[in-house]
Amino acid sequence: MSGVYPPPVVIDNGTGYTKLGYAGNNDPQYIIPTAIAVKPSQNVATKRGIDDLDFYIGDDAFANAKSYDLQYPVKHGQVDNWDLMEKFHQACIFEYMRCEPEDHYFLMTEPPLNAPENREYTAEIMFESFGIKGLYIAVQAVLALAASWADKNVKEQTLTGTVIDAGDGVTHVIPVAEGFVVGSSIKHIPIAGRDITYFVQQLLRDREPQIPPEQALETAKAIKEAYSYVCPDIVKEFRRYETEADKFIKSYEGKHSVTGKPFNVDVGYERFLGPEIFFNPEIYSSDFLTPLPEVVDTVIQSCPIDTRRGLYKNIVLSGGSTMFKDFGRRLQRDIKKSVDQRTKTAEELAARRLGGAQVRAAEVDVNVISHKKQRYAVWFGGSLLASTGDFPSYCHSKQDYEEYGPSIARYNRVFGSIL
Amino acid sequence: MILLEYANRIIIETLRERFSNPITTSLNIADFDGVGYRLSTPESKTLLVVSMRMPCFGELLQYGAMDVLRREYGSMLEATPEPGFEVTLKVDIEKVPQDYSDREALIRKIALLKRNALAAPFEQAFDAQIDGRETPLMAIHYRDTEVFYVKAGTDRVTVIFSTEFKEEQDRILGKVFLQEFVDARRLPQIQNAPQVLYTNRDPPLELRGQPGLKDSENIGYVTFVLFPRHFSKEKREDTISKIQLFRDYLHYHIKCSKSYMHSRMRARVAEFLKVLNRAKPEPVNVEKKTIAGKTFKRS
Repeated sequence: MSGVYPPPVVIDNGTGYTKLGYAGNNDPQYIIPTAIAVKPSQNVATKRGIDDLDFYIGDDAFANAKSYDLQYPVKHGQVDNWDLMEKFHQACIFEYMRCEPEDHYFLMTEPPLNAPENREYTAEIMFESFGIKGLYIAVQAVLALAASWADKNVKEQTLTGTVIDAGDGVTHVIPVAEGFVVGSSIKHIPIAGRDITYFVQQLLRDREPQIPPEQALETAKAIKEAYSYVCPDIVKEFRRYETEADKFIKSYEGKHSVTGKPFNVDVGYERFLGPEIFFNPEIYSSDFLTPLPEVVDTVIQSCPIDTRRGLYKNIVLSGGSTMFKDFGRRLQRDIKKSVDQRTKTAEELAARRLGGAQVRAAEVDVNVISHKKQRYAVWFGGSLLASTGDFPSYCHSKQDYEEYGPSIARYNRVFGSIL
Repeated sequence: MILLEYANRIIIETLRERFSNPITTSLNIADFDGVGYRLSTPESKTLLVVSMRMPCFGELLQYGAMDVLRREYGSMLEATPEPGFEVTLKVDIEKVPQDYSDREALIRKIALLKRNALAAPFEQAFDAQIDGRETPLMAIHYRDTEVFYVKAGTDRVTVIFSTEFKEEQDRILGKVFLQEFVDARRLPQIQNAPQVLYTNRDPPLELRGQPGLKDSENIGYVTFVLFPRHFSKEKREDTISKIQLFRDYLHYHIKCSKSYMHSRMRARVAEFLKVLNRAKPEPVNVEKKTIAGKTFKRS
């Protein structure tokens, strides 16, 4: 490993999961739920003794949910409760990573369009409480782009591309041009992993009454994670299931959590219908009806004209809900279809105006990139960045912080300039 | 979580996973006090190599670290460590015990690598004291600017930590903490705890004349006086584990108390904001009434 010793710490706090690890590694060392279990609420001012150390985070928080208060400090990608977040970091650093923060550089992530105040709070916590050596706050989408470089099929390392980040709570489509996020064109889609789970649960409820109701959600989640895939065409897929049922219909073995009795669930159409809600949202929701490929197309069309080719050429997937088999292929096909349609109309219009002459527009390349690190692409991108030898010089150092105060975090050094 | 865990959690979790599902590994991680580990599988997927680098290992060797490691790890210990590292263990995953508790014990033992290496000077001092011998002052430069010293006397073992605070705030909090250590011992329930002495700037008598002592406001010395009852057979291991993490424990609690104070401050600000939001400026130039029924305007 080249780079800095001791290794910098990379922390990616998502709404659902926090990815934690030392830079230079290929996988985060921990993927834990961003949850914290504290003693049932007390007035801060009347707390005595060591109550403030009595809490659990991550999976331990769920294990202790009965006697503690389970809380989620991050909501919709933004930090909601800074008290809890500070405690969460405290446990992450000392209990999980086991490092003396004064010796390490830290890389944290932020969602696109994060308020600068939030960045200041983060800097305040990291420098004032923990006294870290240096801090770099990176935009998640940019890190996801950088993560795709590790893939063999990516030949040029550019920081221009469209990031589709589908996590548990929300899906973002974020265009990035030369390392800058095109803020005005970002679109959010209220359909993500959790919705697929609900949809699968709904389908199962109608058909499989033997699933214990209190376990319906986790069964649906397990089925979604194990069996789902994206089909090229729903109608054809239905027909295939009818003709060759035994080839496609799988079965799932569950176990009742109280009685311990096993139960059996047939997994049928929900295998491809679950992820289908990205492409045909009308089968699930009645208020959001635009399919994902169309959203991506609109987003790119709303960006500056000279960046559009680059954005189509490099569409990068990130987050757990983009892991379905053939997700990238279907997306590429659908986007390509609407782009080609547009090119054709433009050619016809131009031909008409020029009085029947043949006009040929250069074809627009559409590339959706799937790679192995997709599930925690943001963390992996951070790990790549932080393991470069000159990472410390791009951090806000403790000296800077002491000299200028938290406002230094408002200024984000451009990621592109260091590469 | 009041006490810090002695074993490295990342190693525990990684080994647990690899023992049941061996795959190619390459992992570089860190621990407290500048210690680094590498877990890799250079030859085959089932041959896991765990290496540790430790800045003060040269000193520990003089105090018999190799004997302790050989006793703990036996044949797992490699004679020549990987380049860039000080200790290398080789674990053959195919030969890992199948029994759950044996396996967990092995995992824990490997995760305690740092602790076991650091245990050497303590063990030497404890053994010497039990035999009634005195040892020279053993200095271990466990961090760049911080040192701990172990010395066996005729009736006691003295452990001295020098600790440096990078920040003014930390220094003051640290001072409060350490004085509390001294005072807390007066409580009847912890009468048997080892005696703790704290001095700021001036090194304690045992260290007078040692080379390389820094003279600065930011340096504090904490002395633990351990009597034979503290390192009796059954307590010995626990004492060693606890005392060598003392510095990290201290700094961890300083940081925790800072974040606790921050939460108090946030609560107070929220309270003040509520007061501010309730306050409304008085409307100007409104007719007011006196008690007698006359009206007037204040300009």
